[in-house]
Amino acid sequence: MTVTGRTLLMSDHSSAICPRTGAAAEWRLVLLAAVLLTSTTVRGVEPRALLLQALATNEVSAQISLVQRLTAAQDPMVAQALAAWRQGGVFLLDGPAGAKIPFLLDVVTDAAGKARGLQIATGEALKDAAGQPMLFLASDLTPVDTTAKLRKAIKTTLDLLALSSPNPNIRRDAAAKLGLEQNPDYLPYFRAHLDTEKVARVRKALHEAIALTQVNADDADVRLAAVKTLGELRSIAALDLLQRIEANAKANSSSPAPELVAAAHDAAVKIQSYIARGNFIGTCFRGLSLSSVLLVAALGLAITFGLMGIINMAHGEMIMIGAYTAYVCQNFFIKWFGQGTRGFDFYFVAALLSSFGTAGFIGLVLERGIIRFLYRRPLESLLATWGVSLLLQQLMRSIFGAANVQVYSPSWLSGNVTYQDVIFAHNRIFVIGFAIGVVALTWLLLTRTALGLQVRAVMQNRPMASCLGVRTDRVNMATFAFGSGLAGMAGACLAQIGNIGPSLGQSYIVDCFMVVVLGGVGNLAGTVSAALGIGVSDQVLQPHLGAVLGKITVLAAIILFLQWRPAGLFETRSRSLEG
Amino acid sequence: MTMKRFLSKAEMAGLTVGFILVLVVLPALNAFVPSSSPFHVTDFALSLCGKYLCYAVLALSIDLLWGYTGLLSLGQCLFFALGGYALGMYLMLMIGPRGQYHAALPDFMVFLEFPKRFPATGGLPPHWVPFRHFWFAAAAVVWVPALVALVFGFLAFRSRIKGVYFSILTQALTYAACLMFFRNDFTFGGNNGLTDFKDILGHDINAPATRRALFLASGLLLLAAYALCRWLTTTRFGKIQRAIRDSENRVLFSGYATAHFKLFVFVLAAVLASLGGALFVPQVGIINPSEMAPDKSIEAVVWVSVGGRGTLVGPILGAVGVNWLKSFVTHSAPEYWLYILGGLFIVMTLFFPKGIVGIPEQVRALRRRWLSTRTGAAPVEPGPAAIAHSKAEP
Amino acid sequence: MAKEFILTLEGVNKTFDGFQAISDLNFYMDAGELRTIIGPNGAGKSTMLDLITGRTRPDSGTIEFGKATDLTRLNEYQINRLGIGRKFQTPSVYTDHTVFENILLSLPDTRSVLGTLFSRVTPRQRERIHGILTLIGLEEKAESKAGALAHGQKQWLEIGMLLAQNAKLLLVDEPAAGMTDEETERTGELLLSLAGRHSLIVIEHDMAFVRQIASKVTVLHQGSILCEGTVEEVQNNEKVVEVYLGRKHEPKRHL
Repeated sequence: MTVTGRTLLMSDHSSAICPRTGAAAEWRLVLLAAVLLTSTTVRGVEPRALLLQALATNEVSAQISLVQRLTAAQDPMVAQALAAWRQGGVFLLDGPAGAKIPFLLDVVTDAAGKARGLQIATGEALKDAAGQPMLFLASDLTPVDTTAKLRKAIKTTLDLLALSSPNPNIRRDAAAKLGLEQNPDYLPYFRAHLDTEKVARVRKALHEAIALTQVNADDADVRLAAVKTLGELRSIAALDLLQRIEANAKANSSSPAPELVAAAHDAAVKIQSYIARGNFIGTCFRGLSLSSVLLVAALGLAITFGLMGIINMAHGEMIMIGAYTAYVCQNFFIKWFGQGTRGFDFYFVAALLSSFGTAGFIGLVLERGIIRFLYRRPLESLLATWGVSLLLQQLMRSIFGAANVQVYSPSWLSGNVTYQDVIFAHNRIFVIGFAIGVVALTWLLLTRTALGLQVRAVMQNRPMASCLGVRTDRVNMATFAFGSGLAGMAGACLAQIGNIGPSLGQSYIVDCFMVVVLGGVGNLAGTVSAALGIGVSDQVLQPHLGAVLGKITVLAAIILFLQWRPAGLFETRSRSLEG
Repeated sequence: MTMKRFLSKAEMAGLTVGFILVLVVLPALNAFVPSSSPFHVTDFALSLCGKYLCYAVLALSIDLLWGYTGLLSLGQCLFFALGGYALGMYLMLMIGPRGQYHAALPDFMVFLEFPKRFPATGGLPPHWVPFRHFWFAAAAVVWVPALVALVFGFLAFRSRIKGVYFSILTQALTYAACLMFFRNDFTFGGNNGLTDFKDILGHDINAPATRRALFLASGLLLLAAYALCRWLTTTRFGKIQRAIRDSENRVLFSGYATAHFKLFVFVLAAVLASLGGALFVPQVGIINPSEMAPDKSIEAVVWVSVGGRGTLVGPILGAVGVNWLKSFVTHSAPEYWLYILGGLFIVMTLFFPKGIVGIPEQVRALRRRWLSTRTGAAPVEPGPAAIAHSKAEP
Repeated sequence: MAKEFILTLEGVNKTFDGFQAISDLNFYMDAGELRTIIGPNGAGKSTMLDLITGRTRPDSGTIEFGKATDLTRLNEYQINRLGIGRKFQTPSVYTDHTVFENILLSLPDTRSVLGTLFSRVTPRQRERIHGILTLIGLEEKAESKAGALAHGQKQWLEIGMLLAQNAKLLLVDEPAAGMTDEETERTGELLLSLAGRHSLIVIEHDMAFVRQIASKVTVLHQGSILCEGTVEEVQNNEKVVEVYLGRKHEPKRHL
């Protein structure tokens, strides 16, 4: 037995995580590990049978050892029954031929507080002779006895059960939780799981759990190694613990282990810088996703401004209309498919397309109805489009009410990914990808299609293009509709991130204008850089200055930047800029 | 030319009548006609009119920029509100212990625990201290907006920001200021702003006589602003202003530092707006950050556009008219107001670019065109203007 | 340098978006000279005027006015106050002002903000304005709005405005564009009458007009000087024939 346990420990050395140890204190654990090893060799036995065996036995030590063998059980009934047993919720029914049938009570009770009995062996309800389910009142029954020792064993087993879950995320979370308990009893289990675990993030969590537990080990060498390991692992969970070691050492100046304190300090510094890096990446990521929304929203504005020299103040309302279109789309899909169904999940695709269509159409009407009469009066077109924006806002208020409405994200947009302890929300990742797609599409449209060629021609020299047979009014119309459609799609994306209200567009329009001003006239690269710059700096400044001051700083920075480069980031053909 | 002089004479006559009406008749009807009489002007109505007069000053300042210099500022309400805040601070400190908390401090300072933040002055933020004196507050009404306009204008005009860019940046400026004033720790009352005033210069702010005095002051301010703008248009400065609007490059290449001229007009307009705001606040009894929200400024631009920019009567007519309409509509059918306002924006810019003041001229032009198409040949009685017109538009 | 030039450009370069508009340009001009600059589209003629008047700044090189006044450090209105006036290609007058006011605003007497607030038109100024109006033939139009003038009259008004500025050096960009033949000829006479008292640089496409006014012609090509000389010399220059005169029958540009 001892030899086996020893080999187990030795085999772990190869992983360089488990500290080298031969200390006597560890022997108890080694023994336990051996037990575990044996239990894995007899895994062939049904866990439920083992549980029934434990329930049938009267000898506590046998019960404990049987319960300890259940740590790898994947049977949900075992977990349920163990939890019930620990709380005195497992009962015995005298069966035929003196057999005892262990059962627990259903959580559902009738009016009298009675519940059906569920057999642990089969999971089925107990039935009387007539085949009717038998009903019990908990207070009438005598639970199967437990001792404090047994309850402890059951709890350990329950905790460890999660380590065997088929879902790696649950395994990882369980390892993280167990590690924080710093219970030396768990060590053998951690090691055993480390042997079989293949998923990297769970392995990391297990190593972390081992090191966390060993921080409290009696052996100074083990402690030191554990602290170093935690530093190497960049264990965020351990930061508190490590800082406490350092603080304690400072409190009593005659520190017992200066080496340990130094190691704890090093590790804490490493972890802190890791956290700072994580925060930075997280901030950049959020900035990037904000930039992406801004970019999609401002792209249309930048193109129409570059092409026609007018600012469309109703552009924000195109965003708002896109968002409401997504809302309407969602409601239709809920009606047709029901919420949370697979069909419903596809509503967002339909919403994107219809947002583009709706906003594009309204843009088209706006251009034909109002803006084309005002091409030579940019300041007045600004006022007229502001009027349009008021009308549209009030219209939406009349239709949908002044209160905000909410859109449910499809399931594939609502989760998140964690990488290196940084959380990346799916919807934000989607928005970034979507913006890249939209920019690529716009670029292709501008450089590879006949319309794009005409747009660029009109942008550069309107009278000349007109002389060469380009129908400039059509180009205006198409570009305006396209730009509005882009804003509509941005609205559909925004609906996934926040609420939708009639004044949604207003909150983005100033930022959109800043992107256009900063990016320079009708320049794709300028718009992209400006959106990135504004979005990221907004997110970077926010934690330090707060949302309002951050925004004000960005605005001030833009005004100062224009001192240096009045035409924005990318000056376009200064030669032809008249006036 | 004779036509123009005749018009301006009519304009002058109308103005005289208007100002007599405003400065003499309305307050007299309020003070001396018994309230049972149908000719009595209520205190509320008088205050409302006073409010319109302040708005008219704001509209004039926008017109000075937009109509005469070609600079469309979408942030003029910032200066209006700054003036309001400067006087509001004085009014706030005049409340004394009559507030809800019966403390020497204004209520919001007690509520926000300012005594902990500014223990040295007993809770009053240091920059509030001199506002106990009316003269300081009155001076601040002038120099604070002037300074803001000077700094922003210097940066903007130095880097040749103009046209839509200027409009957008002024909007961003007022937006940023609005966000700042919304913050509680900015020490200007945050969301709620400054309100609940009691006294001004030792007189009860709600007393009818005080209200009449404030109304008269607003009327006189408008008259003074009008006279100033009128005088400006007759000077060479005024000519250069309009020249900048029509052909800035030509002015620049004629040896004028156009940036200085624009800066001067911008600062002057800021001070005018601020004075309007300072008289506005005691009459409505409140100033809060929503007064400098971007949509307020742009709404004020519509008054000018409705009345007729590039004229001096237009903005006054527009400000009073649109606000009267607003009071009327928001009272009887509030949900339609934004439709009406939005519609005004569109209809005025599309069909009446010269505003109400320009409508007679537009009608005359239409009538001439209609007559000439009807008779087929030359108009029946072609005046000199018609000939000039047909020459200009072959 | 033995001779004193009124305008000196040396080693001037200017690039827009990777397009070399002016490359290593050297240009010298005597006081009182009437110089005509010709060159195909995109040769850098208007850019050269932009550089002299401070509208754009050169990437490298020096531009000097008279004795060592560095123009590259000054902005438009400072350069104008030195005595360099510019007439734009499209007539640029104050359309809402009267002809009289147009000239008045061009007088160099009062150009500060405060000055313009309190100045009045003196009898001397009035006299001078009428003198200029007579010279450019717009005396009768003094009180009509500049916006109502015919195209050619606007061009003359703009030249009159340069004269009012007391400009020593006049830069005139395509004065004959869009004019009738008669108007073109009168413009030529006007410019010739100015030479001597003023120095003039005239940019022109119309070769007949160039022949009417030119004493010395500079040919610009791809941002630098191809050749200089009399009209005949230039027209017989092989390089010029190669790059430019092939295009001389190109229709006049109308704007």
